[in-house]
Amino acid sequence: MPSKQDKTPSKSGCMSRRAFLFRSSAVVGGTVVLTHIPGMEGEALAAEIARYPRMLIGKLSQLKVDKPVAFNYPDKGANSQSLLVKLSAEAGGGISPKHNVVAFNSLCTHMGGLMGATYKPADQVLGPCPLHQSTFDLTRHGMVVSGHATESLPQVLLELDGDKIYAVGMLGLIYGRHDNLKS
Amino acid sequence: MADSNSTPFYHPEDKVPLPPKNAEVLTTCCDYCSIACGLKVYRWPVNSPDGGPKKSQNALNRNYPLRPGQGGWVGPNQYTQATHKGRLHNIAIVADHKSRVVNVGGGHSIRGGCIAQKVYNPQKPTQDRLQHPMIRINDILMPVTWDFALDIAAEVSKHVIKKHGESAWALKYYSYQFFENTYALTKLALKSINTPAVSQHDHPAMVNSVPGWVDIGYDIFSASHEDFSLADCLVISGTDPFETKTTLWNHWILKGIHGNNTKVIMINPRRTAGVAYAAKHGGLHLDVNPGSDTVVHMALQRIIMENGWEDKEFIKKWVANGWETDSGFGQGTRNTPWQWRTTWGKFQVKGYEGSPKHFKEWIYAQEESKPEVAAKIAGIDVKKLYQAAEMMAKPKANGERVKTSICIEKGNYWSNNYLNTASIGTLGAILGCGGRPGQVITRLGGHQRGGMSGGKYPGWKSPYKVPGRRRHRLDLDRWLESGHVRFAYVVGTTWIQAMAGSSALQDTFKRLVKLNPNQVRSFDKQTIIDTLKKRVDSGGTVVVNQEIYLRDPIGNQYADIVLPAATWGEEDFARANSERRVRLYSKFYDAPGEALPDWKIAAMFAKKMGFHGYDWKDSNEVFEETCRFSRGSRKDFNAIRVMARRKGMKAHDYLRSFGTTGLQAPLLIFGDKLIETKRLHDYNRKDIPDTGPQGVTITNKRLLAFKTQTGKLNLVKSPWKLWSDFYDFMQPKDDELWISNGRINEIWESGFDDYERRPYTQQRWPMNFIELHPDDAKKRGIESGDLVAIESKRVPVQTDFNLGVKGGDMWFSGLMKKGHIKLATGSLSAVAIVTPAVKKGVAFAECLHTSQPVNNIAPRVPDPITQNYRFKIATGTVRKIGESHFKHTFAQMTFKRRDIV
Repeated sequence: MPSKQDKTPSKSGCMSRRAFLFRSSAVVGGTVVLTHIPGMEGEALAAEIARYPRMLIGKLSQLKVDKPVAFNYPDKGANSQSLLVKLSAEAGGGISPKHNVVAFNSLCTHMGGLMGATYKPADQVLGPCPLHQSTFDLTRHGMVVSGHATESLPQVLLELDGDKIYAVGMLGLIYGRHDNLKS
Repeated sequence: MADSNSTPFYHPEDKVPLPPKNAEVLTTCCDYCSIACGLKVYRWPVNSPDGGPKKSQNALNRNYPLRPGQGGWVGPNQYTQATHKGRLHNIAIVADHKSRVVNVGGGHSIRGGCIAQKVYNPQKPTQDRLQHPMIRINDILMPVTWDFALDIAAEVSKHVIKKHGESAWALKYYSYQFFENTYALTKLALKSINTPAVSQHDHPAMVNSVPGWVDIGYDIFSASHEDFSLADCLVISGTDPFETKTTLWNHWILKGIHGNNTKVIMINPRRTAGVAYAAKHGGLHLDVNPGSDTVVHMALQRIIMENGWEDKEFIKKWVANGWETDSGFGQGTRNTPWQWRTTWGKFQVKGYEGSPKHFKEWIYAQEESKPEVAAKIAGIDVKKLYQAAEMMAKPKANGERVKTSICIEKGNYWSNNYLNTASIGTLGAILGCGGRPGQVITRLGGHQRGGMSGGKYPGWKSPYKVPGRRRHRLDLDRWLESGHVRFAYVVGTTWIQAMAGSSALQDTFKRLVKLNPNQVRSFDKQTIIDTLKKRVDSGGTVVVNQEIYLRDPIGNQYADIVLPAATWGEEDFARANSERRVRLYSKFYDAPGEALPDWKIAAMFAKKMGFHGYDWKDSNEVFEETCRFSRGSRKDFNAIRVMARRKGMKAHDYLRSFGTTGLQAPLLIFGDKLIETKRLHDYNRKDIPDTGPQGVTITNKRLLAFKTQTGKLNLVKSPWKLWSDFYDFMQPKDDELWISNGRINEIWESGFDDYERRPYTQQRWPMNFIELHPDDAKKRGIESGDLVAIESKRVPVQTDFNLGVKGGDMWFSGLMKKGHIKLATGSLSAVAIVTPAVKKGVAFAECLHTSQPVNNIAPRVPDPITQNYRFKIATGTVRKIGESHFKHTFAQMTFKRRDIV
């Protein structure tokens, strides 16, 4: 089974809120747990998050395995449709003690097909896209499994504060936008 | 090497600049698969304002955000920076959303969609592009000047030709990378030097991939893409266009499935997304064993003919009878490049039906055409054969004929080359395929169609003879191995891994190049020349490698001289796609360092060797010279030059004015009118005047009929016993599996390029992989993510320069008996993916991974009828070495099923 090897410890000595949040991510079971993303140093992740709104999107205790919850992020504008899902397997960037809660924008990055209703529980895959059948691995940062998409599915960075799940940033560009924060 | 230059973890951007209103816009096409999607390049200087999200603020002329389903998005992988005229510019390369042909509405593949990352950018992984000519001195490649490198190459070449003959001077090159380059390279090799030691990137000799169709009379690219949306039944053999012809699938085939109720039959050992999608929408998957296709085709023919479902009207009109087959003073089907085939009487029939010497009776007499026998050989349920035959040929309830089209690719013709192509061709003939909307037979294509020959192949110089006084074209791999190649000019291909039995081939290069005592140890030009002359005189080989990157091992380990090439986007070029559409690929940025386009390097090299006819000033002049040599061919584009001259334009500029639409060849001129060709063999076509050819226009027979002496199709036999000795040898023994191989969506016709340097692709496929059926994996204790060793100790390699004298000498069993087959070893590692998508007993790996090449275990015994390799028919053992890094991390590779639809 995948383990936690790709958690990158923070190098930040500064205890800004963002850096603190990130540092916390290495300590599973702390009060605040943030998505851990491989290859991203603490500063980089903090910078990524600093641009984005912090938005309450759900409660961990209310999520059911394999029942995705729709939400909009980082705004309610065009193409902001996203899914929060508790997977039956551990996932890159997953929060919760089992590292299995992840969130992604749900537009296919090939040509913007709407995939909000296409989650496949048996494989933890989103898709196939109704337009041209691309599929994406939600356990591996939205990497394309099969198909034509030129970007991984944009992953919504999550933060767990007690039972509350906050969306705090994004990795990757939402289809159709030129800047995630401009809708 | 390449891997160290790739970003191990892909970190996607979350914003991208839009081109401003005043950005320059140029047109080009994707560089990869034969569909060739139309692209637009937007260029604006760095440090000038970017565009805004409103239509009035950007050169895309679109309001952002785009809505779901709207094509032509600029994502992070569509953006880069490059220098243009020495100044750094922003570059966005986007599928042309206004395209009305090819990629209608702005479709693209994962490869072409990321093509901006191909552009040389010193801050990105492409930073190791070759920039300067280099010479190996004391075993280190060191930069020199163009003159220094080419003076040496030319002097050694002249010496080799004078002392060892022109056949000792070899060209190994790509067949596809633009008309201008292939023309210049072959003008040097074939016209000026006139050597028979020439072969292209994918064959050991200058041969056709689909020889069965050549004999039958089918052109290999006769269809228009639209035909794929018009068929009632589409038979796809040896490929999945979902993976390999993305926009053909996404636009035309899906349009057929959903708009025309097209049923798709896929013949393929492996279930990929397209196969699964076709099956889900009323289609059928014939999951045949590798190499068994011929018997499947023959059984389908038998079922169709026994039911009387063949296209009788078409056969009567378009299939040659006995007299016609043998017409032309006895030439008949013998008037083909493979004349010897029919001389033996092994393939020729007297027409469709009427006697034991006719096609129908011959099929009925074959044991392998019995559905139960064929199903057993192919390892499929016999019911599927009956079902497939019904789908292809059973008349509709209203009595109408089913419109069936057939298309094939490498799984078909690189397993059992002649028999597979002959038998699926004759299946097409009895189904009435060819020349009608939705009733076509065609290749889907691999690379784009950029080949133009600058000279005639001197077939008479090839010493390879087979029984019956017939001559084969020169097998360059065997010629090299036998020590006859003294100078190898290798352009744009990884000669070693791209060929079969590649471990054994590498041993040959090592012996001829590295282990020869004459190695360069001085910067003195004359000393270098003298050393290399001594090398060739002592039986060794000098290698010149012309490339965009330093390839391992041909460039990195074996080249004495490395020449840096400029490529796509760095020069104006022209090329055709798989529906014969010719377009201009614009130069839009500066080539790195001193890199020059291949045509220019070939011209400089030729002039230094003392040849004339290479004084081209630019690529347009090369193109204009090629035009007249295209006359009468499938991609006859001579009209471009003629029309351009009438308008006082350069031919390139005239072609450029047609943008991403281009012109569909063959092109004809009648009066002032330029006429394009939608499909070949179009016998219902009405736009060609009855008065016949006029002026510069050639109306080749293939326009209105088939490509034979009578214009009718010649049926041919496909005797299983011509293949079965080799097939028996290759069958998995003991704990071996079939190790088949092929392309995957993310890396397809981009292997020659830079996929190792694309972080996005590297996160997905950081290593070669091998798909294993769960039962095969369990037996070997293998799980997804495990690193495995794939090995064979019995890779058959045909050796020696030898002559066939008696009937059976050149068949596999004859070669074996006479000791002309050696058994080599080959091995590679790969990451296991356990999936029920592959058939039990069959494993599948990516075909052209350069550092874990599966061709190491592919048999190097070409089809004795046609000299095509049988790349897909390999066998080997698979065992676990340990766990790969990717089994326990989330950032690279995924092991999820690829057939979820």
